[in-house]
Amino acid sequence: MSYLPCGTYFESYADDHKWWRTSFIQGKMIFMLVVLAILPYVVDSQWLSVAYTINYYILAGLGVQLLIGYCGQITLGHAAFVAVGGYTCAMMLLLVPWPQFMVDGGLAYPVTIVCAGLLAGAWSVLFGLPSARVKGFYLIMTTMAAQWITVPLVITQYVAQIGGRGQAFAIPPDMIKIGPWVIDTDTKIYYFSVVLVGICLLAMGNMVRSKLGRAWIAIRDNDIAAETMGVNIVVYKLIAFWVAGFFAGVAGAFYLSALFFVSPEHYEWFFSLLWVGIILIGGVGSIQGLVFGAAFVVIVFKLLEIAVMSASSALMAINPELGWMTTKFIFFKEASFGLAIILFLIYEPNGLSYRYWQLKNYFNLWPFSYTGK
Amino acid sequence: MSEVILEAKNVFLSFRGVAALSNVSFEVRRGEIFSIIGPNGAGKTCMMNCINGLYNPKQGRLIFKGTDITKMSPHRRAAMGLSRTFQKIELFGGMTVLDNIRLGRHLHLTSGVLSSCIYWGKTSREEIEHRRFIEEEIIDLLEIEAVRNEVTGMLPYGLQKRIELARALALKPDVILLDEPLAGLNLEEVEDMARFIIDINEDKQWQVTCVLVEHDMGVVMDLSDRVMTLNFGVKIAEGTPSEVQENPEVIKAYLGEVEDLYVSRR
Repeated sequence: MSYLPCGTYFESYADDHKWWRTSFIQGKMIFMLVVLAILPYVVDSQWLSVAYTINYYILAGLGVQLLIGYCGQITLGHAAFVAVGGYTCAMMLLLVPWPQFMVDGGLAYPVTIVCAGLLAGAWSVLFGLPSARVKGFYLIMTTMAAQWITVPLVITQYVAQIGGRGQAFAIPPDMIKIGPWVIDTDTKIYYFSVVLVGICLLAMGNMVRSKLGRAWIAIRDNDIAAETMGVNIVVYKLIAFWVAGFFAGVAGAFYLSALFFVSPEHYEWFFSLLWVGIILIGGVGSIQGLVFGAAFVVIVFKLLEIAVMSASSALMAINPELGWMTTKFIFFKEASFGLAIILFLIYEPNGLSYRYWQLKNYFNLWPFSYTGK
Repeated sequence: MSEVILEAKNVFLSFRGVAALSNVSFEVRRGEIFSIIGPNGAGKTCMMNCINGLYNPKQGRLIFKGTDITKMSPHRRAAMGLSRTFQKIELFGGMTVLDNIRLGRHLHLTSGVLSSCIYWGKTSREEIEHRRFIEEEIIDLLEIEAVRNEVTGMLPYGLQKRIELARALALKPDVILLDEPLAGLNLEEVEDMARFIIDINEDKQWQVTCVLVEHDMGVVMDLSDRVMTLNFGVKIAEGTPSEVQENPEVIKAYLGEVEDLYVSRR
């Protein structure tokens, strides 16, 4: 077995079906785990919050990637399902009379995460029902309806008014607790997010390479042929919506641990678009692409934020009278996101994951330069 | 004479007043190769789509293995053992060849959502088992070992036709509908494909009943047990290849009024 996958042959089907098939890949993955584990000791807390925001976007974008990238059902309302997850989690923590042993044992939060996923999945299926009849452009409109119905109407006007709390549901600090661990520092939130993302990506990867995922990709590529091969299209589309909603619910429930409160402005339509943008940048139909896209977007946003901050403080230092100019470039951040998507669609329509794949292939075949298959 | 496996009774199909099929009836017996021929626009593919469930006939009944399937959706017909290939290639372009064929095994896999997520034990064993079946029975039979890990959309036309057959076979069907499997192939590929059709029809493991729509008369007459001829949606002849070849109605449909030789394109 060589270091590089070029020239590696497998002798059994089981070997070929493994996740990490060669020792080189195993080494790479172990290296990645070590980097993820020591990250909190290397970077300060603002970059740690960047890291768990990336993880939040990965979790939320997972459902978008599943629906758009694998099942071909374009969705522009995914923030609605994240909102359902976040609110379910918050309200269950606050309103359910948890027995004392569950609170002490740290079982309440994990249970609410699962419930948030299940309810968000059900909510997602409800808005996925039109997909049985409509395709493409028209489905975009129905998924947008999910956003407008859920967040501004149901959540803001009804759910957020329960108990007379106004808009924000603040969670008492001790409630976010898994087993003996109270999640209260950035480091703990970070580790929690890494574990959740790991589980969800593994589940997603496994689904994609089994019966379910193949049926989804078949529906994306050619729904008529899929149906003649025995795939019940309506059922599999709804399963896709359910799983996507589940991931969104988990994402919403996770982000509660970072925010300690929920309020409708965390689930605005902008986020639905942002997650679609992330998969466009990272690569449609690729789990790696989702990770690359989320990392790219969050890090670029952070860098722009730093640039804007330092520019404005430099401006203030030169002449305090010019402070008003800061407001003129504070929204460059959002504008740059649109620009990034346009540039990616023109110059790299297959996304970052395709670039990564090309790079990998180059090194797999190195030093031979022919383009292998 | 073996039992009737597929039967069409007085099938009518029309699109906004244009009659595509009128009063077509036929029987396909288990184990035979039954061909449907006819000039362009005769309704051959319409007939296939009716059998398969992509079109719903206006009148008439379709009976498969003794069950009335006229109102069933295509995926339920597939579950009963009815598979097909398409005239224009309808593969899943973004998937590898192996995944395309694996999708044909869809109905034979049993893993659910949760077991797919975990992919441990039963699901993993099942995937490997079916992979073995696909690799050792289908890919080996159809001689596509070299391309099995390639993305299908990039492959040449002849291979794509063969992969469609592989995918249809993976369903382990009782009846396979072959809609112009030889169209657009070169001579060597035609001979290969004809051999595969004979193989799947006669091999003890497969013994698939084939319903064949094809324009290549040489192949049709050599392979078929019985031939049905359609013209403008009307059945004009049925019988053994030699009977159909000599039928004056068929000669008229193909060659107009001139009585000329009615032979293969080669």
